[in-house]
Amino acid sequence: MQFKLTDEQKMMQDMARDFAQKEILPTLKEDERDHRFRPELVKKMGALGFFGCAIPEEYGGNGCGFFESVLLAEQLAMVSGSWRVPLNMQNIGPSVTVNKFGTREQKERFIPAWVKGEAFGFFAITEPNSGSDVASMGTTATDRGDHWELNGQKMWISNAHVGDWGLVYACTDRSKKYKGLTCFIVNLKNNEGIVTAPIETKLGLHCSPTGEIAFTRAKIPKDSVLGEVGQGFQICMWQLNNTRISCAAGALGIGGGALEAAIGYANERTQFGKKIGSYQMIQAQIADMVAEHEAARLLVYQAAWLKDQGLPNQFQTSIAKLFASEAAVHAASDTMKIFGSYGFSTEFPAERFLRDAQSLRVVEGTSNIQKTIISGIALGDVQNR
Amino acid sequence: MNILVSIKQVPDMESKFKVNKEGTWYDGADLAWRMNEYDEYAVEQAVQLKEKTGADLTVICIGPERVKEAMKKALAMGCDRGVHVVDEASFEKDPYSIAAIIAEFARPKSFDLIFTGMQSQDRGSAQVGTLAAEMLGLPCITTIVDFAFEKGTVTVKRELEGGVKARVTAPTPALVTCQLGLNTPRYPTLPNIMKAKKKELLSLPVADLLNISVQQETTRLYFPEKKGGGLVLEGDLGDLADKLIRILKEKTTVLA
Repeated sequence: MQFKLTDEQKMMQDMARDFAQKEILPTLKEDERDHRFRPELVKKMGALGFFGCAIPEEYGGNGCGFFESVLLAEQLAMVSGSWRVPLNMQNIGPSVTVNKFGTREQKERFIPAWVKGEAFGFFAITEPNSGSDVASMGTTATDRGDHWELNGQKMWISNAHVGDWGLVYACTDRSKKYKGLTCFIVNLKNNEGIVTAPIETKLGLHCSPTGEIAFTRAKIPKDSVLGEVGQGFQICMWQLNNTRISCAAGALGIGGGALEAAIGYANERTQFGKKIGSYQMIQAQIADMVAEHEAARLLVYQAAWLKDQGLPNQFQTSIAKLFASEAAVHAASDTMKIFGSYGFSTEFPAERFLRDAQSLRVVEGTSNIQKTIISGIALGDVQNR
Repeated sequence: MNILVSIKQVPDMESKFKVNKEGTWYDGADLAWRMNEYDEYAVEQAVQLKEKTGADLTVICIGPERVKEAMKKALAMGCDRGVHVVDEASFEKDPYSIAAIIAEFARPKSFDLIFTGMQSQDRGSAQVGTLAAEMLGLPCITTIVDFAFEKGTVTVKRELEGGVKARVTAPTPALVTCQLGLNTPRYPTLPNIMKAKKKELLSLPVADLLNISVQQETTRLYFPEKKGGGLVLEGDLGDLADKLIRILKEKTTVLA
C-alpha cells in the first residue's frame, strides 16, 4: 500500500490550486451572481493539459490517469464546484468514452479538440421523464438509409447550449428494451433539427451552463454511431462509472473548501471572550467534518487508482460518490452553522458550498441509485466491474 | 548560449511558524514548501530567453532532498537540467557561503547569464546574487522589473526608491536578480510535468563546492516580544494629570 503522492502529482495539485486561486476566484462572486460561464477559461485549462487524463498521447493525452484528474477536480472544486464540471465535459465523459468505443477515425477527429478545450463537449442522457431509469428514455434515432433521424428531448444537460460535439443516447429499437439504446456523436451546432436552451432555475453551480436539447427530425450522419447499434446502454453505464468519480472528487473538493472555511472561522471568531473553536460543540462539528472528509478522500483516491490499474471498481466508485457527496453536504451545512448569520449571507462562501454540494447527490446517479449499485454488488446479485 | 538560474525552496508563507529547538531557525517539520516567489520570476525569464535564443538552461538549488520538488517545477516550466547541491544544513549557511557554492559551480561552466531571485522569502538577505556575481567577477544588476537581451547585451529596468526606474545595460556574461513585476510565471502544464520526469537531475554533495568558511552565524531566532496593552486613564483632568505624573515617575525614567 502506498499513500504518498509523487512529486509530479503534488505539483499538479499545487498547479490546479494555484490556477483556481488566480484564474477562478478573483471574479467568482460576480460570475456566480451573473451566472457567467467563461469559455476562455475552458480553453486555458485545455492548454494546460487539464483534459488529457486517461487519453493516449497520440490524441493529446497528458500521460496521466484518472487519479491525476481526481486531484485536479478536488482542487478546482475547493474554490468552485462549477469549475470542476469541464473535466467531465471535455475529458472523462466524451473523450475517454470515444477513446474506449470509437473507431480510429472518430478518435482522431474528436478527442484532440475536446482535450485542447477547442470544441466544447457534453453528454445527453437525462430527459424530462427519464432520469434514474435510463432505459426508459423517449428520444429515438431512426435509420433513414443515408442518415439517422433524432427525435425527442434531453434535459439537465451540462453544456447543452454552449456545446459543440458530444454524446447523445437514444433508443433505436424499443422492443429490445435496454439493448435497444445506441450512443451517437452529435454536433449541436448548424443543425436545423436541433434547438438548445439554457435552464436558469438551478439552485447552484451557477458558473456551469446547464440546458435542454430538443431534436425534431434532426438529421445526423450515418457514421455518428459510437460503438455498435444497441450498445448504448452498456456504453452509458461504462461512461457514468467514470464521470461518477469526477463528481465524487468534486464533492471531496467542495467538502474540503467548506471545511477550510469552517476551520478558519472557528480560529478567528471570538464569542464570550474566547475563540469559538475552543468550545466543545464547535470542536465536535469540526471533528465530524474532518473524519468524514478524510474517509471520503481515501475512498475517492482508491476508486480512481483502481480505474488506472484496470481493476473492477464500480463498487468502490459508487461508495466513493455516495459517501463523498453526502459528506460534502454535511460539511457545507455545518460550515453554515459555524458561520452563524454570516453563513446565511451570500457575502460568504458557506451557502454556495451547500448549494453546489446538493447537486452532487443527484448527478451521475442519485444517492439512491448508488445505494442500489452498492447493495446489488454486496448481496452478490451483480458482479463488480 | 548557456544560462543558469539559481532557486531556493522556502516554506509556504501562510504556514504557522515555530522556532526550532536550538532556537536558531524555524522548525522545518509540518511545513509546506514552495519555490521562492522571486525565483519563479527568475525561472520564467530564463525560460523565455531560452525559448527566444535556443540557449541551454540549467537550474541549481541547494538544500536537502525535499528541494527537488521545487527543482522539478523549474524543469516542468522549461529548464533543461537540474543540479541539486545536497546539503542538509543549508538553512544554517549565511548568504556568503550560499553565494560561494553557486560561484564555485558556475565558474568552470562559463554561463553567459545567471538569473536569481532578488531575495528569498524566508531569510530575505538579498545578498546571494550580488555576492555570487562579485565572486565570479561579473556585472550584477539587481531588482530587475524588465528584461531584454540583444547581441550579447542585457538591457533591463530596475526599481529605485520612490517609484523611479533606471534603465541599465551590461555586457554578458552577467548576473541579474529578479523582482516582482518582471513577468507572470507560467503554470507548469500537465504534459510538461510528466516530461520533466525524464530530464537530468544531477546531485552533488555540498562538500565538493564549498571551500570557504562561514562568515556569519545566526545565534538566536525569536518572535518579537508581545508588548503589553496600552493604559487608558479616565476621570477629570486634574486627577488625570496627577495619575500620569505618578506613572511617569514610578514606571519610567522620564521624570526621574
